[in-house]
Amino acid sequence: MLCRIAELTVEIPTAGGLAPRCKDYMINSADIPDIIIDDSLYPYDSFPDRLREAIEYTHSGLQFYRQLLDLGGMMLHSSAVEYDGYAYLFSGPSGMGKSTHTGLWCRTLEGARVINDDKPALRKMNGIWYAYGTPWSGKSSLNVNTKAKVAGICFLERGTENKIRRLSKKEALINIIAQTTRKKLTEIRMDSMLSCVERILEDIPVFEMECLPDENAVLTAYGAMRPENQGEK
Amino acid sequence: MKINENFVLRQIADTWVVLPLGDATLDFNGMITLNETGSLLWNLLEKGCEKADLVNGLLDEYDVTEEQASADVEVFLNKLRNIDCLEDL
Repeated sequence: MLCRIAELTVEIPTAGGLAPRCKDYMINSADIPDIIIDDSLYPYDSFPDRLREAIEYTHSGLQFYRQLLDLGGMMLHSSAVEYDGYAYLFSGPSGMGKSTHTGLWCRTLEGARVINDDKPALRKMNGIWYAYGTPWSGKSSLNVNTKAKVAGICFLERGTENKIRRLSKKEALINIIAQTTRKKLTEIRMDSMLSCVERILEDIPVFEMECLPDENAVLTAYGAMRPENQGEK
Repeated sequence: MKINENFVLRQIADTWVVLPLGDATLDFNGMITLNETGSLLWNLLEKGCEKADLVNGLLDEYDVTEEQASADVEVFLNKLRNIDCLEDL
């Protein structure tokens, strides 16, 4: 089936559970695909104890990610919430409370919605960075086929109070690389990823917030990250 | 000693990062950062050399004692040993 994801035409095999996940992205067209997912590459034999559908989901996402690198974009392990025209990305290791935090955005700020709960695609288009919904949005499958300008990226830590600070480029670099897939990348693709990260560091403010799972954390993050409040980078 | 060819050094925004490639990522999915001194030592090691060469590399470049240089080299080598990217010539 042909889909339009992150403003790219993607050919995806209909196998397993992918068709339902992709239904919001399917298109009727004869366009030549920018990205082709190949189901003959799915590593069923390497994971004999895993469900076929799980392998198809993971590996199709991995193929999309690698080819997205070739096109100058990347995916960041984060939950992306859209509010008032901008995307706010909350990143960090699994279990750090990213989805909990963006869920609170939706309950605290009217109109906020999660556009990708696991790995939003990031692309710089005409000088502006956008975060995109994709079918690969993790366990919750929360995603919207849309894009939003990225206001900022914030790495979360569990804390005893809500406190946010801007990260230095070096701290931001280490955190971003740690939250993007690097398994079995070729040297060319690794360099594409690093080049993308370098551009992100130049354009997008990166923060770290220790926080509680409460409404005040949302207001703290939003207050610091909203574009009107951005000071000198 | 030299660096295993599955590890590369890249400079990004004033920081040097060491990253594994290909299959090396299966054993180690992290990265380490180096400063300018570390990147100098890395470049020497890439071609293959002994610890003495690394110490001399520092002495050539910086105004430090041999003792200090030797200690710095040891710290650097331990960083690399931790990610298992050193091998014998």
